Amino acid sequence: MTFRSKLFWLFTAALVFSIALIAAGVTVVARKAFTENNAQHTDALVAQFQHEFERRGQDVARRVQGIANADRTVRMAIALARPNADASVYVDDAQGVSRSYHLDILDFVGDDGSIISSAEYPARFGYKLPWIKSLTTGKTLDWVAQGPLLMKIDTQKGAAVGLLAISTVRVGDKNLYIVGGERLGKEFLGSLVLPVGMRALLYLNLTPKFDPANLVDERGPIQEAQRFERFIQREQKQATDQTFSVKWTSDPKSAEVFHELPLRGRDSDLLGILLVGSSQREVVILERRIQALAAAAVVVGLLIALLLSWWGAARVTQPIRQLAQGARAVSEGNWDTRVSVRGGDEVGQLAGAFNQMTRQLADQRERLLQAERVAAWREVARRLAHELKNPLFPLQTTVENLRRAKEQNPGQFEEVFRESTGILLAEIENLKAIVGRFSDFAKMPQPELGPVNVNDVIRSVVKLFEAQFGAAGRPAITPELHLEENLPPIQADQTLLHRAIENLVLNAVDAMPAGGVLMLRTTHQNGRVNLEVSDTGSGLTPEECDRLFTPYYTTKQHGTGLGLAIVQSVVSDHGGRISVESESGVGTSVHVELPSQPPQNSRPLATVEAKNSIEAASSSGESKKEG
Amino acid sequence: MLETGATVTSADPHAAAANAQEARAKQQIDELIYAHRNPDGTFSGSGPFQIKTWGKEAVLAANENYDQGRPFVDEVDIRMGRALKDRLIDLQLGKADIAEIPAAQARGAAASGIQVSRSQPDELIALVFNAKGPAANDRRIREAVASTIDRAAIVNFILQKDGEPAGGLLPQWSSGTAFLFSTAADPGHAKELWSQIPAPPTISLGYDSGDSQEQAIAERIEVNAQGAGIPIALQAIPAGVAIPGADARLMRLRMPSAIPQAALAHLLGVLNPIAGLSTGGDALTDSAGPQQIYDAESSVVRSFSVVPIAWIPQVYGLSARVRDWSAPGPGETWPLADVWLDNMDAQPQKGSS
Repeated sequence: MTFRSKLFWLFTAALVFSIALIAAGVTVVARKAFTENNAQHTDALVAQFQHEFERRGQDVARRVQGIANADRTVRMAIALARPNADASVYVDDAQGVSRSYHLDILDFVGDDGSIISSAEYPARFGYKLPWIKSLTTGKTLDWVAQGPLLMKIDTQKGAAVGLLAISTVRVGDKNLYIVGGERLGKEFLGSLVLPVGMRALLYLNLTPKFDPANLVDERGPIQEAQRFERFIQREQKQATDQTFSVKWTSDPKSAEVFHELPLRGRDSDLLGILLVGSSQREVVILERRIQALAAAAVVVGLLIALLLSWWGAARVTQPIRQLAQGARAVSEGNWDTRVSVRGGDEVGQLAGAFNQMTRQLADQRERLLQAERVAAWREVARRLAHELKNPLFPLQTTVENLRRAKEQNPGQFEEVFRESTGILLAEIENLKAIVGRFSDFAKMPQPELGPVNVNDVIRSVVKLFEAQFGAAGRPAITPELHLEENLPPIQADQTLLHRAIENLVLNAVDAMPAGGVLMLRTTHQNGRVNLEVSDTGSGLTPEECDRLFTPYYTTKQHGTGLGLAIVQSVVSDHGGRISVESESGVGTSVHVELPSQPPQNSRPLATVEAKNSIEAASSSGESKKEG
Repeated sequence: MLETGATVTSADPHAAAANAQEARAKQQIDELIYAHRNPDGTFSGSGPFQIKTWGKEAVLAANENYDQGRPFVDEVDIRMGRALKDRLIDLQLGKADIAEIPAAQARGAAASGIQVSRSQPDELIALVFNAKGPAANDRRIREAVASTIDRAAIVNFILQKDGEPAGGLLPQWSSGTAFLFSTAADPGHAKELWSQIPAPPTISLGYDSGDSQEQAIAERIEVNAQGAGIPIALQAIPAGVAIPGADARLMRLRMPSAIPQAALAHLLGVLNPIAGLSTGGDALTDSAGPQQIYDAESSVVRSFSVVPIAWIPQVYGLSARVRDWSAPGPGETWPLADVWLDNMDAQPQKGSS
């Protein structure tokens, strides 16, 4: 993955993550706001219910007090206060009066707590309300001041919960109690004014266990009341304000959040549970809108992020790409490469430094070339002086002998002349040979490629040296050939290759003045042929290894220092590599690696690579290089 | 004008009535028209009145040739099927001279200035167990329910003291032995009996859906029973339906005759198919003595298949100008031939009586 791609994906990921984070944050905040708003609505509704409850209780108390103040009630109280009073006359009164005063519950209760007349349970006349006497034992209660209270009551249709108020009419020492109230149920819920999207349910806690029939809304028992069972049971166990959610269908819009409000009786017993429900439809719709907007924002943001990231990455990486191209050009030898410098940021500074580096590299290379050139000339001069000095000295001596013979011994001059001219001619021939070798090195021909079997070339070279290996008066050298069968032919110049191998064999023979083993090995791998020429001489020092392929460098007394230079030149011309391994007291091995097909224009490249690929490994040694 | 709750829609007074109340009204009208009843049950001769018109209201005109003398009134306008509240209002507004009213309303009517005429208590309100009902098979269940019933409270409060607690199948004034049957409630005994029931059932108790008095009594029985831990489920039954699956129901049984043998035989004849009594009405002859009557009553009462609750009279409200009206006893005809109207300002707005 390119740097630009990495930057692009990094920018994209950062932008998408940021947008998603913002969208999620907005959703969470919106949800929280709606939840709080919902809670406020619920609290308001609960407060409204409590207010309505109190108002309704006060209204009930007022109506009950009105009944107590009515003439008919007072007459009833007076009649019942008489000895042997006949209460049966009033048995139906409560029903009529309750209708007049719009009360669901109305009981006229005698001083002994017996029901005289009951509207909600007409057949219960004569039975006692035990609680009414227990409340008044030993004291007189101001029922109006006591205020309305929630109570569980028995009716003809079963148990119910009523909002009751009690009033008394006292005649003499006897009381007539008027118990009136409204029944909590669907009618009561129907009278509540609720905001849109909210509703109130009422569970009448009339049985120890959950009874679906006791859960009503303003229309009556609700559908699927069983869904509330565990919440009601939880409230029955620990009657506190609690909130829960009911999802009516799989659609989240159907969810309703309910707030439970326990309704307690006179003895703090749980008589009912008001469930204030708030539809989540609007919340869910808004939440979905926000999520859709967030998703759209993410998509748009993603597109923008892609474009911005692409543009930004391109802008950021452009100078770096130029730097990379420049570095690649430098590595290819284009030392004059320059990159444009824009701005003064880090990348601009890097580009400036790159340009400065290439300038310095070019200068250094120039200086190095000049130094190398000077050194080469010096070496050439030294070698020429050395090579030429040796023949010149006999020439000078011979000429001086001739002059001395002429002046001091003219009789022998003729003989000396013949001998001296012979020596002069020999030395002149020697000088010509030296000049010829230099000339040959200077005129290394271009290789003429053709299929060459390296094994055949090796055998040919070894055959040339067979006489020298076993020459009399000289320690024997044993050649060992380890030539791989089926070695593929390579494209090479057979003459040059023969010359190179000949030089390697000659060097190895010269390195073994005391005799030894000359080993030649060929292998091939990955389309390349490997040649190894090893001797069992005394080896080379590391310094010698370093300079081994330098032209005119030799460790031999009569060498020109051109042998291995020629070998390197041939190997380079064939696109191959050459390296040396040497170990003191063990010998030296030269490794040559030749491709099956030399690359096009291999000469300059191969020369450079051949130089760079020289590997020398030597602990110590005194092996001599032959020129 | 005379108002009654019965509805006799047929022009032919002999046509079959829908129920007992209609049958009684039909018989009353028959006997006003025909003077004599033949041994075979048919009528002969001419009565004090003749049919003038027949429709929603029956108008009887005085028979000028009635052999016992022409009635005092010229016409009697009989309005049938009149609702209870309308009858009281009509009486109070002077739109009717005579109206049948429930016994429970007699006190209230009298308090509002209406003359009230009561007959001897001749209608029995009883709890009759259905012989085919599962709950009736166990005598302890029937006795437990019967023991919870507070008859005095029913009579005093629901019937407003216009009636008397019933222990036997005949009233005290008829048999003279009614006091031998206990009418007191015994909730403790009921609880004890109920605790002996292995799988206590819920007793379904039916009542006439159109009879508010029956409904009130049924509700009171339910309250009494619940006080003893006996669950009772009330079931309103349309008029004319016997006992559709209920374990028991409230019934009104009118004495057809003041003669105890005949009255008891009639009652047993009515009750036997429902309650599956061991004693049928056929066992009683006209010559049966008090002991036989008592034994027959006792046999039924102690089986608790029929639980007498209260005897109630026939109650008529009369306008202030009605004179010489006496509520008819069992088997007696409306005494319209003897009634005369005082010449007062208050005249019925409709009718010529």
